[in-house]
Amino acid sequence: MQGSASLAAPGKAAAAVFAIASQLCGAAFLYLILKVDGGWQVVGLLALLGFGFYLLERLPWIGDYALASFARAPLVAMATAAVIVVAFPFVVGSNTYMLHLLIVAQLYAVLALALNFQLGSANIPNFATGASYGIGAYVSALLAINFGISFWLTLPVAALAATLFGFIIGIPSMRTRDTYLALVTIAFGVVVQQLLNNFSWTGGPNGLVGIPAPSLFGHSFADPLVIFGWKLPSQANFYYLAAALVVVAIVTAHRLHGSRIGLAWNALRADEIAAKAQGINVAWFKVLAFAVDAFLAAFAGTIYAFYVSYISPDNFTFLVSVTIMTMVIVGGMDNIFGVIVGAFMLTILPEKLRAFADYRLLFFGVVIIGFLMIRPQGLFPQRMRRYGGDL
Amino acid sequence: MRFGGLVALNDVSLSIDKGAVLAVIGPNGAGKSTLFNVVTGVYRPTSGRVTFNGAEITSRPSYEVVDRGIARTFQSSRLFSDLSVLDNVIIGMHTRTKTGVLDALFRPGASRREMAACVEKAEILLKLGSGGLFEQRYRPAGTLAQADRRRLEIARALASQPKLLLLDEPSVGMDDTETDALVADIVRLRAENPELSVILIEHDMRVVEAFPQHVTCIDYGSKIAEGDFAAVRADPRVQEAYLGKAVADA
Repeated sequence: MQGSASLAAPGKAAAAVFAIASQLCGAAFLYLILKVDGGWQVVGLLALLGFGFYLLERLPWIGDYALASFARAPLVAMATAAVIVVAFPFVVGSNTYMLHLLIVAQLYAVLALALNFQLGSANIPNFATGASYGIGAYVSALLAINFGISFWLTLPVAALAATLFGFIIGIPSMRTRDTYLALVTIAFGVVVQQLLNNFSWTGGPNGLVGIPAPSLFGHSFADPLVIFGWKLPSQANFYYLAAALVVVAIVTAHRLHGSRIGLAWNALRADEIAAKAQGINVAWFKVLAFAVDAFLAAFAGTIYAFYVSYISPDNFTFLVSVTIMTMVIVGGMDNIFGVIVGAFMLTILPEKLRAFADYRLLFFGVVIIGFLMIRPQGLFPQRMRRYGGDL
Repeated sequence: MRFGGLVALNDVSLSIDKGAVLAVIGPNGAGKSTLFNVVTGVYRPTSGRVTFNGAEITSRPSYEVVDRGIARTFQSSRLFSDLSVLDNVIIGMHTRTKTGVLDALFRPGASRREMAACVEKAEILLKLGSGGLFEQRYRPAGTLAQADRRRLEIARALASQPKLLLLDEPSVGMDDTETDALVADIVRLRAENPELSVILIEHDMRVVEAFPQHVTCIDYGSKIAEGDFAAVRADPRVQEAYLGKAVADA
């Protein structure tokens, strides 16, 4: 106990060193797990990860110390994170498969953060995030293909279209709760996917082909990225784009969580009747959660569409929504960092365990049941808000 | 107020003046809590009217009722148990804060300042009441002792700066010392805000006795007596309602 008391308040230098070292370790771990080719190496890395979480669980002061360090030296921590994110493609080099996985993981991180507003903050089980993602992708792709509108313009248009969709599901959903609400959102997700499948102007089951690559200041995202003589594969363009979107999602989540809106969502998660009695317009805040979710999901959808340049209804199935939900539950509801970790793990692990690819749905099912039984709060549980920095 | 065939509240007309305390008593199931639910817009009355400050608020949504200045506590405390004590109080300020989604996203400074002001006000509220709520402000509300839960409910209701405070059995689960402290808290509140009106549902006659000017007794959804505490206590119908017919006759 004495040890924990003295360790809980790291000095400035110790905090900075810890913030840098821990993030480098995390990045190294990510690199290794991306690099290995399945089999025992993956199992070994997973065992290492499991041991890490075991330590974190048994010795809670490690977590407190880490949080205190990051709070003490926020600039150092953020600068380190930025350097790691920017430098990662250089380390990965020409391994396009790793870059591809990272892009997908980042897009899923955005989707998981989007769903976290509902599932994590307000306990609204929304199974239609995949549909919002699809709407974003289709709206932007259709605009680009049919009207030649640039990627940068389709981004906000797609987001607005999906937000409108969010309002449309949100309004009937207000009237239902819990299981019934989940059913309503499942129905919406399926309806959207079926519509995409059956309309002729969405290309039907064949989807949309030939979405033009975006370009910025004359640089096409289909071309390799050359920085100071370093030549990175064209995927690096989308890697940085997705990273920027993750930053936007984190900032959005952080600001909403810290404002009275995040508190109102938490209130209606805990007790809806009591929330009403505090003057919270419960119906409006539920609809708002749907809208924010759809807005961010559409951004991810747009980037996805332009990245793969070919989308079909199969990319936006119910399974996608289930995957996103698993990420939030595993990572930790209402914990921004946890949700991102969950998204990365559940994007990368199924890829690395290709041998079991046929059992992917089973894998997600087992993971969800396992977590709900053993650790319902997720890997990184939500933390109490601290005001004024007295951690 | 009817629930299907059951008439939960039939003929209850109450009024309270600015700055007064009205105690509502009555046996279990008399309709006291239903009365609060009708006033605060949780239930929509089948007939009857609720007016507040000269405006009709019958069947208005709860958030509007709170915004107009009516705050309440619940009989079975309904705290946000996985949030901290401080957060519970800050949520109580919901109608007095204004940040919207766009403000929170694009004017983070204003949003932060608003929250900082809320924290300050909440800490003052927690310090004022009896019990050690302030020291426990970072604890999850669900882990508080029963008396502290009741106190926190009141602090949360006060956070909305109400003109009318509805307390639904605030002394439930409190021992004698804690009940005395509760009475002292209410007395102090009234001294600090002479405009504040309080409607108090109580079973504990010691609390009612402390605010004896206006007492109303409800039974089977109807008002059976009103007046000051001594008069209501002496009313044979009240004694009958509480003690049963035979005893009252004896």
